[in-house]
Amino acid sequence: MYEVRFHGRGGQGAVMAAQTLAEAAILLGHHAQAFPYFGAERRGAPVRAFARIDDKRISIKSQIYEPDMVVILDESLLEIDPVVDGLTEEGMAVVNTTKSPDELDLGISVRCATVDASSIAMEAIKAPAVNTAMLGAVARMSDLVTLETVKRAIEDRFGEKLGPRAAEANILAAELAFEKTRTGICKADRTIFQKKVWLPTWEELPTGTTVYPEHIDGVAVGPGGSMQNLTGTWRNATPRYLKDKCIRCLRCWFCCPEGCIKRSEDDHVSWDYRYCKGCGICSNVCPVNAIEMTRGVTEW
Amino acid sequence: MVMKVLSADHAVAWAVRRAKAEVIPAFPITPQTLIMELLAEFIADGEMDADLITAESEHSVMSIAVGASAGGVRTFTATASQGLALMHEMLYAAPQNRLPVVMVNVNRSLGAAAGIWVEHNDSMPERESGWLQVYVEDGQEALDMVLQAYRIAEDERVLLPIMVCLDGFILSHTVERVEVPEQEDVDAFLPRFKPAFALDPEDPSTINAIVPPEYAMEMRYQLDRTVERSKMVIKEVDEEFKERFGRGHGGLIDTYKMDDADHALICLGTATSTARAIVDELRSQGRKAGLIKLRFMRPFPHEELREVCSGLRAVGVFDRSIGFNRYGPVFTEVSSSLSGQGLKVTDHIGGLGGRDITLRDMRDIYAIIGSDAEGKEVKRVNWHGLRGVQT
Amino acid sequence: MPRNDYFLSGHGACPGCGVAIAVKNIMRVLGSETTVYVPASCLIVFSALYPTSAFKVPFFFTAFENTGAVITGIKAAHRRRGVQGNVVGFAGDGGTFDIGLQALSGAADRGEDVLYVCVDNEAYMNTGIQRSGATPFGAWTTTSPIGKRIQGNRRMKKDIMDVVIAHNPSYAATLSIAHFNDFIKKVDKAKKKKGFRFLHVLTPCVPGWKIESSRTVEIARLAVETGMWTLYEYEDGEARSTYRPQEMRPVTEYLQLQGRFRHMNNEDLNNLQRYLCNKWYYHYGHDIEQPVCRIYKGEKELHFDGDPLHGV
Repeated sequence: MYEVRFHGRGGQGAVMAAQTLAEAAILLGHHAQAFPYFGAERRGAPVRAFARIDDKRISIKSQIYEPDMVVILDESLLEIDPVVDGLTEEGMAVVNTTKSPDELDLGISVRCATVDASSIAMEAIKAPAVNTAMLGAVARMSDLVTLETVKRAIEDRFGEKLGPRAAEANILAAELAFEKTRTGICKADRTIFQKKVWLPTWEELPTGTTVYPEHIDGVAVGPGGSMQNLTGTWRNATPRYLKDKCIRCLRCWFCCPEGCIKRSEDDHVSWDYRYCKGCGICSNVCPVNAIEMTRGVTEW
Repeated sequence: MVMKVLSADHAVAWAVRRAKAEVIPAFPITPQTLIMELLAEFIADGEMDADLITAESEHSVMSIAVGASAGGVRTFTATASQGLALMHEMLYAAPQNRLPVVMVNVNRSLGAAAGIWVEHNDSMPERESGWLQVYVEDGQEALDMVLQAYRIAEDERVLLPIMVCLDGFILSHTVERVEVPEQEDVDAFLPRFKPAFALDPEDPSTINAIVPPEYAMEMRYQLDRTVERSKMVIKEVDEEFKERFGRGHGGLIDTYKMDDADHALICLGTATSTARAIVDELRSQGRKAGLIKLRFMRPFPHEELREVCSGLRAVGVFDRSIGFNRYGPVFTEVSSSLSGQGLKVTDHIGGLGGRDITLRDMRDIYAIIGSDAEGKEVKRVNWHGLRGVQT
Repeated sequence: MPRNDYFLSGHGACPGCGVAIAVKNIMRVLGSETTVYVPASCLIVFSALYPTSAFKVPFFFTAFENTGAVITGIKAAHRRRGVQGNVVGFAGDGGTFDIGLQALSGAADRGEDVLYVCVDNEAYMNTGIQRSGATPFGAWTTTSPIGKRIQGNRRMKKDIMDVVIAHNPSYAATLSIAHFNDFIKKVDKAKKKKGFRFLHVLTPCVPGWKIESSRTVEIARLAVETGMWTLYEYEDGEARSTYRPQEMRPVTEYLQLQGRFRHMNNEDLNNLQRYLCNKWYYHYGHDIEQPVCRIYKGEKELHFDGDPLHGV
């Protein structure tokens, strides 16, 4: 039995990736299953998907806690999600990054494949859907599946859902990624990210479903407790404020869905980048181009 | 104490008036409507200070009730049959959020082969909702139980909604002598509602966010333990009620001539009265018949039943609804309580769709249990008053 | 415009979410003396995941179809306990136009002293973009797909404002997140009035409408400029428009920024344009003959690029 765990963000296609990998394995004559874990989050939030591959019928229906391989569709997840949980040094990782394997630090030393899937996706698909490029890298990294079966699986799954043009573009992404994937051993210098958790026993749990604002075990609960979710890690573009141009119309302040644009006494504005998801509305609504969107997660 | 001649529906309305319920969402459905009509009159005449809200459906009735209870006031409503079924979704909002709503369900048959007459197939399916559920026998018990229900529901060890079930027409519309307690006596027994938590901008809380798998199971276990813990409170409240008003109803179960009984019927609702008459008849013939009145279906009195049945040679179970899988729901519950005791149990299904339960039916029921006790061969499941051969 | 936030950061909405913009600003105007009920919707999922909530005020949720009823109950309790402030329900279009219509009608009919806000993203977005009574004509959803025989939603959007106004509410208004002053004024009016108040906000949805996340507000503005959304309010038994664009823009300018309309053929486009011209006259009066309304009389063809998002 071979177990693969996919880590991505809502909208990147982690679930489709897991399904397509399973289909590729089935095309090779294996048994396979793929399933999502649906959290309550939306686009941009960390999501997980799972695939199991075996030579005989798979009867397990639980999530994967000790994966043989993790596929990380978004490098920034390393900072906010324990993505290598349960991975041993015998395991392997496939990561979407511009780094080479020996530059990459996963906090655990494993066989590692890296590929700049984001650039490949933009080139081949014209959208940041990195899932098929990552499958190309998986095919390169392990003999679990071949590039040929991955391509056929993409044709089936994407072709049926999105049409032959989309399938072609995604096959191209997988091929490009297969070419450009680099393999090696990654570094283990960083401390693996650990989430603060509050996991009360039933006796410790407040009565019923009611919570008042307080901190329990370092976790904020109750009204306003959402502030502990630093959704700024979701973004892949960052607004930059050109204060001199600002006419203090406050359109950006009104239109920011995150409420991360702060309004000063004189009605100039500033960004709380901890929450900015990089949607770009502020830049779009600014009548004097005083806000420009820059690529990547930065702070200005 | 004022003596009145009241139907059980009107006795309930008097109890709600004495309990000073403040928000009462209402939707008409036979045979419950008399309750809401009388409450509306009390309020219109200025004899009662409450908001009677005429909702557009029972679904909204229960939604308003949970909203008002979460808002921190004492809430009452009543329904029956199809109305309870329409509420089904919203019933679940009260227990896990720990909202002590009190509701009277006037039992009436549900579904196709429809009618307006008594059957327990409306309330029995709601046993798994987390609501406490009590069945009463007469108008006085209906009144007393509504008062007790608020005490139990609002007890900080409980904080759960209670459904008081009473049989349609045969009880809801039967006038009897009912003692209505004085307001100050009720006030002393049932003080003003102090909510454990309430939606209030002065002290904001989040009630019922989406609960992920990391927490939901602990919440379910907490609720399960709370339903169990309510047994203690139910007994305490009944004892205190008895001290103050001179009448108790036995708490979880009540018994009749059980001291030396060798066979008995476990019965609930109005059929209990008829059974009592037959027990007297059998006793006069020297037979050791007894009666166990099952009051609460939730919490289910597993231990109490085991104890009271321990000396018996056979016991019968009365079911006024059928699970369409051979047994009725009360039989299923009782069997799980008594499993391993080696006691012979028979199921007696009767009174479906409002069919009258006659003295003769009840005599037949006891005859079968008596034969079972004597070791004779009997059928395990018996429909009473049915035309045709039972296969 | 008050500066304090009561709908806080850290919620899990998609980047560029129109609902988040609307709710955040409505909460700014309503202030701390507010109790919030949210039925099943995207909003409940992205704003309140146990043990936290993005609402800094009291918050409650139970089910999908009962917003009008639950806020009725909360308000009754507050009235009796002397608790101050508004009780507001934020329901989506499905929770208002469809499954929640009965409870909405009940509350409006009783004249409950509550504020009902419909955040309308024109489909069941929480369950993954299914058609609702608010879905506009022609739009793709997963239950009005682009098939060989039937293409997109075949019915014009239900006019929920007319339905609410038929109950004679004390206040009802349509809001656009692109018209800030109008938005704030109306919320403030709704905040201060007594009786049943209804606000209807158009909230573009990035994944559901297949739009770029930066264009949420731009598209909301185009909805008004093309007559897809009309800004008006109903008060004291009378409806009046609060903003009328000088000249109506062709609906294609609105449609072509959205992937959900990219399949529309000329016949459908003309039908929609004709419907919008009638709607324009209905809300804004007949005094100006809009040039764009001549097109369906055969004077001009609509221009439509389609395929704005490269097959996303």
